[in-house]
Amino acid sequence: MTVVEERPPPARGRVLAPAVSGQELVLVGVIAVLWVLLAFTTPAFLTAGSIQPLLVEVAPVAVMGVGMTLVIISAGIDVSVGATMMVCGVITAKLLVDADVPLLLALVVAVAVGAVLGTLNGVLIAYGRVHAIIITFGTANLFLFLGLQIFGSQTVNGIPGTLAFFGRGAEGRFLGIPHSFLLTVAIAAVAWWYLRHSVGGRHLYAIGGNAVAARLAGVRVQRRVLLAYVITGALVGLAAVFTVAKGTSTLDQSIGTGRELAVIAATVIGGTSIVGGRGSVLGTVLGALLVQTVSSGVTQLNWPSQLSDLFVGIFVIVAVGADLIRQRPFNRRPLNRRRAR
Amino acid sequence: MAVTTSAPPRLVMRGISKRYGAVRAIAQAELTVAPGTVHAIVGENGAGKSTLIKIVSGAVAADTGSVEFDGRPVEIRDTAEAMALGVATVYQEPQLFAELSVAENIFLGRELTSGPRIDWAAQHTKVVELLELIGLPAAVATRPVGELSIAARQQVSIAKALAGDATVLILDEPSAILTDTEIDVLFGVVRRLTAAGVAVLYISHRLDELFRIADEVTVMRDGATIGTYPIGDLSVRQIAELMVGGILDDEHHVREPATGPPVLELAGLALDGAFRDVDLAVRAGEIVGLYGLVGSGVAEIASTVYGIRPATGGEIRIDGEAVRPTSPRHAKRLGIALLPADRTEQGMFGFQSIAFNISVGNLDLLSRFTAWVDRQKERTVARDLVARLAVRTPSERQPVNALSGGNAQKVVLARQLVDRPRVLVLVEPTQGVDVGAKEEIHKIVTGLADEGTAVLVVTSDLAEALRISDRLHVVRGGTTTVEFGPGASQVDVLAAAAGAEGAA
Repeated sequence: MTVVEERPPPARGRVLAPAVSGQELVLVGVIAVLWVLLAFTTPAFLTAGSIQPLLVEVAPVAVMGVGMTLVIISAGIDVSVGATMMVCGVITAKLLVDADVPLLLALVVAVAVGAVLGTLNGVLIAYGRVHAIIITFGTANLFLFLGLQIFGSQTVNGIPGTLAFFGRGAEGRFLGIPHSFLLTVAIAAVAWWYLRHSVGGRHLYAIGGNAVAARLAGVRVQRRVLLAYVITGALVGLAAVFTVAKGTSTLDQSIGTGRELAVIAATVIGGTSIVGGRGSVLGTVLGALLVQTVSSGVTQLNWPSQLSDLFVGIFVIVAVGADLIRQRPFNRRPLNRRRAR
Repeated sequence: MAVTTSAPPRLVMRGISKRYGAVRAIAQAELTVAPGTVHAIVGENGAGKSTLIKIVSGAVAADTGSVEFDGRPVEIRDTAEAMALGVATVYQEPQLFAELSVAENIFLGRELTSGPRIDWAAQHTKVVELLELIGLPAAVATRPVGELSIAARQQVSIAKALAGDATVLILDEPSAILTDTEIDVLFGVVRRLTAAGVAVLYISHRLDELFRIADEVTVMRDGATIGTYPIGDLSVRQIAELMVGGILDDEHHVREPATGPPVLELAGLALDGAFRDVDLAVRAGEIVGLYGLVGSGVAEIASTVYGIRPATGGEIRIDGEAVRPTSPRHAKRLGIALLPADRTEQGMFGFQSIAFNISVGNLDLLSRFTAWVDRQKERTVARDLVARLAVRTPSERQPVNALSGGNAQKVVLARQLVDRPRVLVLVEPTQGVDVGAKEEIHKIVTGLADEGTAVLVVTSDLAEALRISDRLHVVRGGTTTVEFGPGASQVDVLAAAAGAEGAA
């Protein structure tokens, strides 16, 4: 018999990515170095008065990033999160001002509105066979129009302190940590478990890795994809509440502007592969923390604020480059092995 | 072997050899083509046809051998040199831009210019000439290619190939995607070209049509040219015999015939535009083969059984009960499993582990309350299947990308076995795997049948079809035609699939 003996390759790899990946360790290292440097240069940095607002700023980006991570792992993208946040934010603000609703109801409404907008995205993407970036670009403009109609070309003034629970003040903290950040961490933990251990999470990785193979294996691809966008929309609703809460008593139309870029940056910097199939929620939270650290640092050092955009841009490019290098060993295989025909 | 004509032959190739690494693609191939004739090249998959035409068209360079063109020795080292000699190639799928006009497509990349701008008038004159030659009306020149029929697009590809004053035209399986009337149009074009003195190299799997168009036929087998014959001297059956050669047909190990009622039945199954009136039955413990050439509809039959493209007519029955799978998931629930044809595109999650690849799609079985994955159970099942199918790997945690083709194929097959399917459909189960792995996969499949699985093997590998099947159906022209028992010879099956009338 002509059985070709193959030398077994050295053992490597695992069933799942490790609990903490190399990129996440690097991020932890970078953040730690930055914090130490900032602590030396601006003595006020490592104080509660500086870290607490930083965490308040991180929370909305990180919580939206959790949803974005699910979406990007499934090989999609959602560029409508900024516009979704605007719609959810203005509805929440109007409810608080005009109807004087309690916190919990405002929260539920914001999350529900976000989920509805996410469902629209998800249905169009999962069942309409057009790429997610085109669909969400279209819906982003639609949502923007909707949001501006609700604003009625005015700012919403006199927002009451109902949302102080998620605000910057002392009533927004538990053991010194902002409630919004704590909630974000809790949601990230659930999402982390979902991705690693649940059937649905596995399916998202499978869809992002090879959607055709996933469908042939019996995965309900459309339903899973739809769910990822619904979750993202709902989390954007929550982030909108965080954002209104950390702001002043006046809400203007700029809420949500450019947030999609911050969220996608955090997700990509966190090591989630933009082509799908790979990524983690922990990385995204760290990515959001890094982006906010840079931005706070630039402010506290009194550097021009556009430098923070420059640094974030560099981080994104480095992260995408690292992702490409990770894929390299497979791309280098001879063509006849990759596509045996 | 050489053909005698008064003029020097257009193309003579002697002692042509080509290796790809350790693999010998062709060795000592000989080919003589006279101008103004249609010269067919036939051979089974892997016989070396494509390598030979790639050498003629300059796409690959030969390792040894000499080439003469109109009596002059030449060297063809790249496509530019081949084009300068007038070698033009038309591939199976027309490679055209649907948005551009016919004229623009024909001159794309070699536009006729006057100064810096395109000379539209000169191009138009030339295009009209070319269209007349291939038998399309001149008015077509300005129409976008996307508006034309498949046959007309192919004529445009031929016109494009001829735009550089072709002396040798290579047609690579031009008829595979055409209907019968469209083939008549194609043949009309070919005859006009030969009348104008062009030598046509015609590659086809459909042996019957060669008798309508070819003047001579060169048969290839195992990388060698077996011989060149005037087409009138041969029959379809004789060509099939030459293609198959002295390969022993007796390596089939005859299994106990399966008795009992059929598990899978197809009755008059039809899918518009692909196949119709497909009838077959597979019993428990039986391996039924489905063999057909590219374009025969054989691949689509498997997709319909697995719910990828639901049937438009007829019935699928499982254990006598009519079912209509509408999605792969639905088919799975009905007890049908499918090993897809294209492992990398349709089967593998490349950078994921072996265990991930085996468990995906079976997570309902490998989880608690169908909510969270039971990692222990997943690992046990993966290890068990890795051992049973003899996947060569140090552990189930390896990414499948790191495996050889044969081992990766075993992993994709393992996924289909987790839930013990009643019906296993295998499409091209050993495509792109090495000889040893092929043997092992055949053993695994036979073992599964021995355990009572009803197996349907869809393959375009003739030797495999005969070797593995208890019964073999030939698909031709979108329907099941002849059925062969275990003792069938390759020649009979090939002749039936490639179109000999009355073969059985």
